Formats: sequence, C-alpha cells, structure tokens
Amino acid sequence: MPHQFFTHSKQVQAIIKGLNLTKSLQVSSILMGEPYTGKKSLISNIYPDAVYADGGDRESVKQLLGEHEELVITNFEKLTGATLDFNNRRIIAIYNSTIQSKTIDNLFAFIYQMPSLRERPEDIDLFMGEFIKEIKSILLIKEEITIDPSMLDISDNIRSLKTSIYRQAFSQTSDAQEIQNIIYHYLYHHMKGKNDYHTYLPLYERPLIEAGLKKAGSQLKLAEMLGINRNTLRKKIHELRIH
Amino acid sequence: MNSESIDFRFFIECDSNPFIIFNSQGKIIYLNNTAELLLGHVTQYELYEIALGYAPQSFGSKTTLLELQYAIFTFFALSVAYEDEEQIGLRLYQKPRNESRRVLEMDQYTPADINALLEANITFFKLQNDNKLSLLVDQDLPLCRIDQNQFSKLIRKTLETFRASDAIEIILKLLIGEYIIIKEKKELVAQLIIKANGRYSANDRDIKEIAQSNLIDCIFKERSIELHIPMIRD
Repeated sequence: MPHQFFTHSKQVQAIIKGLNLTKSLQVSSILMGEPYTGKKSLISNIYPDAVYADGGDRESVKQLLGEHEELVITNFEKLTGATLDFNNRRIIAIYNSTIQSKTIDNLFAFIYQMPSLRERPEDIDLFMGEFIKEIKSILLIKEEITIDPSMLDISDNIRSLKTSIYRQAFSQTSDAQEIQNIIYHYLYHHMKGKNDYHTYLPLYERPLIEAGLKKAGSQLKLAEMLGINRNTLRKKIHELRIH
Repeated sequence: MNSESIDFRFFIECDSNPFIIFNSQGKIIYLNNTAELLLGHVTQYELYEIALGYAPQSFGSKTTLLELQYAIFTFFALSVAYEDEEQIGLRLYQKPRNESRRVLEMDQYTPADINALLEANITFFKLQNDNKLSLLVDQDLPLCRIDQNQFSKLIRKTLETFRASDAIEIILKLLIGEYIIIKEKKELVAQLIIKANGRYSANDRDIKEIAQSNLIDCIFKERSIELHIPMIRD
C-alpha cells in the first residue's frame, strides 16, 4: 500500500507535478534533500507499483536495472562511484543530501530539491494533525491533545517532529501510574548513590511548582494550595531558579 | 594548359563554400547553391558590406582569416576579388565540422513526443525560476525516435542559460524544407528556438557535447539558442 503524502507547500506540489509529467517518459529523475523530508513517501505515492532497489546493495541495483524499465532507487548516495546505465529506462532516485555533484548532473535529466520542513512551515500543521490522529488511534486516546508549538522539534525534519508530537501527547495523557513508572525507570537508570535525594528531588518539585504557579497565579495562593509556608515556597523557587 | 574552353560554373555551383558576385550597386549577379542557402540566414546587404570591407586596396584578391557564424554556417576565412569597378566576388570558407565518432545506436532512441518532453522541462524550469515564459509550439509534431533522457538534459541545460532573463520565448516547429539524412533515410528536422534579452554561456560546451552526440545541431547566439532536432522515424 502506498504511503500517504500530504503537503501544502507550493514547491513540493510543483515537484509532484513535474514527476507526474515524466511518469510515462523514459527519463531519469532524482529527488534530493535532507533525510526525513518525505521523499520516499512522495515517490511511492506517485509510483505505487514501481520496483524499488536500495542503493546500499549495488549488485541488486545493477541486476534490477537490467530487468526493469522502471526502477526507484532509494539511498542513491550509497551508490557513489558505481557505473550505471540508465538508457531507455525510467529511473527515479532518492538522495539523502542536498549537495549536487557532477555525476548527478550527468546521469539525471531532472534534479529536484525537496525542501526541508524549515523551508515549508505550512506543512508542519498538516503533519501535526496527521500525527495526532495516528497517536490517538494507536494509544486509544479519546481526549483532545493540545500541542505546544514552541516544543516542536524540526531539526531532523518529519522524524523529530513526529517524536516531539508523540512525547507531548504522551505527557498530556499519562495517568499517575504511568508517570510513576516513567520516574521509576528514570531513577533506576540514573541513581548513582551519592546525595541522590537532593539531586533528584527537583524532578518532582519543579513541575509541581511551575504548574502550580501557572494555575494559582501568585506565590501566596500557591503556598495555600500546597499547604506549605510561603517562605518555604519562596526558598524552593529560589533554589530551583524558577522565574 | 588552355583553360578557356572549360566551363567552371558547374564546379563553382557545387562548391560547399558560398560564392557570390555583386555588381557595383551591391546587387547579386551570381551566387552558387551554398550561397543561396546562406542567404536564408544573412542579408545580401550584410554580405556586400563584408565584401567591401575586406576587399584588397587595388585590383586583385585578398584572403582574410576571420570567424563568422550565420546559423549553422561557421566560416574561418573569406576571399574578396575584383578586376574591374563593375564586379566584386566574395567567397566564404566553411570551417570543417567535427565528425561525430559516435555510432548511432538506434535501440537507445525510443519513440517520444517532443512536446511532452519540452513541457516536462518547462515545468521543471519553473520550479526554480519565475521568468515570464511565452510558448509557441506545434502540437502536431509527429512522434520521433530520440534519447529522451539526453534530450531532457539538453533542454534543462539550455533553459538554465536564460535563468536571469526577464522573459523567455520558446518556439518549437518543423523546419520547412530542411531534411537530414540518417542511416540513408531522409528525416524531417524540428527547430527549437529559445530566446530572451540575454543569456549565460557557461553551459555552452556541455550543450554542444550533448547535442552533437544526439545528432542535434545547435546554434548559439548572444540572446538565443537554436536546436535542430532530427525527427527520426521508425
């Protein structure tokens, strides 16, 4: 089943248009770009029935080139230095880099640059919506998930975006037992046996005071809510450097 | 040796170098077959001006080494001769063309629609450039055998040379009356002209190499590139 591919980016839509126009031509095209920008999903959407070869396996690529008129080659960067014959074939290569070499210029008629997520912010909301749907379905979550955009990570494109959304969703929907389990595993792997009580106490105190301050609106009110002396609270805030 | 009874005209007619005789008013009074073809690409007036400009100071003949290009004609020298005030002769010497050493592998040439290849290339060009494009194409061009990948590369590199131009004009049509003989068959020739108000020339060598290896003639001008594509049938 082909991967689903979503985009609002005009640049990506133009790439799709270009690739569709060459679908029936015997030309070679390459889609270059940073890893995890959706290149493979896009290609498998346009060429759902094509034969795929992994550039990491040179012998297999050469064999498949001899057998098929249409071939998608993934991880093309791993084929550096290989002698390839693309004549009379429709080749679509996926290349995990943005650096265009002379070899690529010689081999390919159409060289597309897939923009990174940083270059197509209009797609972030789209992916976010899809990932939230996916999380809710996998983790059987019924309540709404609110994503904090400042905590999204697109440094590794779709992969890091997905991870950051999953983490936010999980942290918002976990119950006390799950949080305790998380803390348990964290402590089990990190405790070294020297002053650990003071080292790991902020793990509980920081979210308690930060969330409390946001909710209460003032230190006075929070001291009341927590049932502690306001001087004790002030001291804790100072120790934890909470602003 | 008595050469008075020899009629030289036939031999001059067949010469692959253009030969023209003008009268004192610049009117052509004789031209050979190659000169007739050349006049499809340059005006009579321009050639007359060249003849006057490079004529010897007194009666006789003078040969000058000079690079001249008119469409597919490239000349490396010219001779101007006159023996009275009434007639002046101009002969242009064609530069020998490099014979392509490539053996034409017809298996590599698959039937394709040039318009579809051009459209795909224009879409690709638009992806990276926002120049205004005007297109005049003959949609009825027949399918022809072509190396689709090489042809697309050629168009990509040709279009790239115009990337800094405000407006680009693309014309694709059959070259009426011109043919090319390939494997003893007379084939039609399509003409693709891409022109703008200027262009880069850094890709010219690559363009020429790809074109030559695909039997495509390319004519570089300051503001345009013209490709003559053989329409090879089955």
